[in-house]
Amino acid sequence: MNAFFRKNLLSAATLIVILIFFIAAAQGMNSQDFVITFLRGLSVGAVTFLVASGFSLIFGLLDVLNLAHGTLFMIGAYIGWTVFVRPDTFADLLTPFALILSGFALRDMYPLLSARVRLGLRMRRILPWALIIVSVLLLGLILPRYPIAGWNLDNYAESPVTYSFMASQGTPLPPPTATFDQISPALAIGGLLLASLFGSFGLFLFDQSVQRSPRLSWRSYAGFVVLLLVGLIAFIFNSALTAFLLGLNANWLFFIAVIVATLSGAGLGALMEATLIRPLYSRPIYQLMLTIGLSAIGVQIVQAVWGRPEFVMPKPTLFNGSGASCPATSFSSWWQGNCSTILLLGGRVRTYNEIFIPLIGLLVLVAVWILLQRTRLGMIIRAGVQDREMVEALGINVRRVFTMVFALGVGLATLGGALAAPSMGLSNAMGESFLLNALIALAIGGLTSYPGAALGSLLVGLIQQFIIKYGQIGISIPFTSIVLKPTPPIVPASTVLLMVIILLIMPNGLLGKKE
Amino acid sequence: MQKKAFSFFHNNRASLIVLFALVLLPFIVGLFEGASPIVVWENQGGISKFVEGLGIEIFILALYALSYDLIFGVTGLLSFGHAMFFAVGAYLTGIALKSFALSLPAVIGLVFLAAILQALLFGLVLPRVKGITFALVTLGMASMFHIIVTSSELGNYTGADVGLQGVMVPSFINPANERLRFYFVALVVLILIYLLYQRFVNSPTGRVCVAIRENEGRAKMLGYNTFAFKLAALMLSSFAAALAGVLHALYQPIVSPNVADLSFTVTALLIVLIGGVGTLSGALIGAFVYRLLDFGLRRYIGENASFITGTIYVAFVLFIPYGMVGTWRLKSFRVAQGWRRLLAAFKT
Amino acid sequence: MNHDIIVETINLSKQFGALVAVDNVNIKVRRNSLHAIIGPNGAGKTTFFNLLSGNIEPTSGKVMFKGSDLTHQPVHRMIHHGIGRSFQITNIFPNLTVFENVRLASQALEKSNFKFWMNVSRLEKCEYRTWEVIEKVGLKERAHAPARTLPHGDQRKLELGMILAPDPEVLLLDEPTAGMAAEQVPELLALIQEIQKTGNKTVILVEHNMNVVMSVSDIITVMHLGKVLAEGTPAEIAANREVQTAYLGGLYELNV
Ligand SMILES: Nc1ncnc2c1ncn2[C@@H]1O[C@H](COP(=O)(O)OP(=O)(O)OP(=O)(O)O)[C@@H](O)[C@H]1O
Ligand SMILES: [Mg+2]
Repeated sequence: MNAFFRKNLLSAATLIVILIFFIAAAQGMNSQDFVITFLRGLSVGAVTFLVASGFSLIFGLLDVLNLAHGTLFMIGAYIGWTVFVRPDTFADLLTPFALILSGFALRDMYPLLSARVRLGLRMRRILPWALIIVSVLLLGLILPRYPIAGWNLDNYAESPVTYSFMASQGTPLPPPTATFDQISPALAIGGLLLASLFGSFGLFLFDQSVQRSPRLSWRSYAGFVVLLLVGLIAFIFNSALTAFLLGLNANWLFFIAVIVATLSGAGLGALMEATLIRPLYSRPIYQLMLTIGLSAIGVQIVQAVWGRPEFVMPKPTLFNGSGASCPATSFSSWWQGNCSTILLLGGRVRTYNEIFIPLIGLLVLVAVWILLQRTRLGMIIRAGVQDREMVEALGINVRRVFTMVFALGVGLATLGGALAAPSMGLSNAMGESFLLNALIALAIGGLTSYPGAALGSLLVGLIQQFIIKYGQIGISIPFTSIVLKPTPPIVPASTVLLMVIILLIMPNGLLGKKE
Repeated sequence: MQKKAFSFFHNNRASLIVLFALVLLPFIVGLFEGASPIVVWENQGGISKFVEGLGIEIFILALYALSYDLIFGVTGLLSFGHAMFFAVGAYLTGIALKSFALSLPAVIGLVFLAAILQALLFGLVLPRVKGITFALVTLGMASMFHIIVTSSELGNYTGADVGLQGVMVPSFINPANERLRFYFVALVVLILIYLLYQRFVNSPTGRVCVAIRENEGRAKMLGYNTFAFKLAALMLSSFAAALAGVLHALYQPIVSPNVADLSFTVTALLIVLIGGVGTLSGALIGAFVYRLLDFGLRRYIGENASFITGTIYVAFVLFIPYGMVGTWRLKSFRVAQGWRRLLAAFKT
Repeated sequence: MNHDIIVETINLSKQFGALVAVDNVNIKVRRNSLHAIIGPNGAGKTTFFNLLSGNIEPTSGKVMFKGSDLTHQPVHRMIHHGIGRSFQITNIFPNLTVFENVRLASQALEKSNFKFWMNVSRLEKCEYRTWEVIEKVGLKERAHAPARTLPHGDQRKLELGMILAPDPEVLLLDEPTAGMAAEQVPELLALIQEIQKTGNKTVILVEHNMNVVMSVSDIITVMHLGKVLAEGTPAEIAANREVQTAYLGGLYELNV
């Protein structure tokens, strides 16, 4: 008990100091300002947490400092926007994506296949490259001709900004239907499938280290068949699906958008880990470089596809009402009017930003906590964070766990992005600022500690919002008549300063383990 | 004696050829354009002046990357705040010249002091934080500096988020009129620092720094106070980076706050990675490749250039992990080994 | 003050959470003796060494060296006092050459470590010493190979070379033969014994190979569960019933 107390004395003292500051800050403003600022802090904290928790899981288990995490967060926002505002584009994209991925689902078959292929050493070297080049060529030929209803960055009337505006008005533009361009549909679909098979087999051939004895069962084909079916069905019933999605209630559509963003983030994460990160586990510093490079590439892709200007994503109707009964005075009146704001303790609080997002943050916090504490996977993850060699020695397939954790981490980030998009808008720079936030939060809370990620994010969110608020109302310094107004750059400075101080007192953060 | 001198030339012939080429470069480029060396000498040539400018930028970048290689590649300290070392030199020069009208030697003296101070600041935290935590703390310090120079309170001195402009550069080294001289000054500074660093790496102190990179615990156990050695490396690195900053402030019409940003540290990291971590000469080659790549891509491809640069970095990391110099050395090592084996076979 | 005692611990203890890894250990090591410490796995021998060499701080107690208190000295001062230490798990600079590894070890005592403009090869004494040590441990042929490319046995020799290079008065050797091929062990121990005898060194040795310990050491201390179980000459230890039942328990054969 005594030892425990002594070990946590510093953390406790720091928390008490922060608490005192917090109380002092609360004293300095009236209750409605306080409520709003507090809830805003929670909101920023929740989004930061979604980025930070995934980052920390990945760092803790894999020792990979994923500096592309912010970019992935941003990509999540853009994916969410696409599904929500342009469901027709989403429906069009389903087929090519499912087909391209389908080849990778056959990976259990490839060892068998590669054992069959009897080639000389030189051919063996060339083959994977040849396959990949053919695959890339096929994709390059087909994809530009494949009909995907999209937007046009060069034409303002068809730009994301306009589509967002129209969607927020409740009248989505009737999408221009695209048709195949000089290519027959059957050829296009066959070509995509072939490209996928070639590409995945080529990539597999690079990774010669895993030659598990293949035992084929129906599972080996199931993934492939499912993806193929999804692709074909989405293709045949494309117009029906589009009509269905367009006719859907905006709340459900939003829900779908968030789910799609999360899942595609998870997929992206798994892909990233398996193809790019994995070869570099023995060279940690290069992983860092790799993630920096990927981050730059990600930003460029987003700029190329969605453009550079900022735009917004409409809120789901549940939080978008502004009828006669708004702002709501109680939760029941909010439920009736779907008001975008609600009066709490005299303050007008935005329901989506300041109530919904913190709630979702809390939900994710609890869900991942349960995952970590109560499931086998969670147990392996926790053990792995403590001592990776040990887990490897126990003969657990760490590779698969690594991939899953990476997928989980990136999924959390893209979930955060999709959720944050309606409240803070989409911009090419949103990833960077939240990556910095998350880094600070983790440094404060402890780099590999899950509760630490939560605590750190909360502190970062609250401190930033309170300082912004004080920048508006000014701090009157006691016993003087000076009113200090912190300017905007002080906001990041304050949290950075807190980070440096805490790291110097406690290099492992508030809740981090001693090494 | 004569023989010794000859073998010096022989052993360093590649470097000497490069040096010679760099000295002649402005004149040769001038000849292509039909400008005689005298015209070039008098800073009238158009294209040669442009090439000189590009050369100066590369030298500055190389100096900066070199200083990063010393702490990261040689000593093994991962710092995310290296841009601050550079930015302090740049801003200090700019402000001292513009707002206080100090003379250039005084400015350099000031920068020297500041370099020592900032190395001490980074060194102060060394005993407490290691590895990635050190990276985060240095990132924090550099961000604070970035915030300070962009804050509107100091706008009169730093130019806030626009950057510092209107620095009065002493006329004898003014890059507009005396560009050739600037070119040679930058080249000489770079070479001097490079030679100093080469000596450092082969000195008792430098060897201990390498040992610290390899296995710090063991170095301590052998009886080295590793803190002091890391501090020495930081000082030397900070000094060169700040010097690069001085040249930057003198050469560029505007010192943008971007040079205090994390992305500028990442630039150093990328350059070192391209060239080869811990090789020193890699930093020089890396800076050359980086700047030309950046320039070429921006010029011929335009806005999407950084997509390609990003892809190139990823490819580098995956396929050429030891960088250009590192890979070259490894290969030549193998070639030498092969020769030896072949000769041995003949002997028996 | 007994000048015959060079290293002494007084009530030395180390606790890891609830586990007392080293429990009130009082050991006196005589100058120029070969003092062996034995004990089953987890007895706390390595932890005891870590306390002696300053790698970890004791929970309580003192480490005395030539009558002065070295308990809270930083690790890097130890070699300057004359205490060198080798590790049970090979701890070298894997990417540097064998020569460079040893040279770094002998350079530690140089005065000119901060002359950063001077070439290392001008530390001639240090260079000479390095070659001497490399020759002594028999790694001359591999001197310019990166340390990681050596076979395990040679890495153990290198580890020994790195402690010999600065020529300390007291050598703390933590299982110098760990993982070595059996036929190499006697050779290495003979070398250690020779160094100890001819150089007037004090060696504190942790070793698992009982036959060897019995034959080379002057004094043996038996540790068990962090405590000193017995101490005496090899013959006394072999005859000690308590040691036999409590620790040896038939695991090792004692044939002196
Ligand atoms: N840093 C540490 N933290 C927690 N427990 C430790 C630590 N180091 C050692 N221990 C524990 O202290 C006990 C003594 O370990 P020590 O390594 O000293 O044993 P040993 O006698 O050297 O064993 P061996 O013969 O295997 O080398 C062991 O139970 C070990 O688990
Ligand atoms: Mg041990």
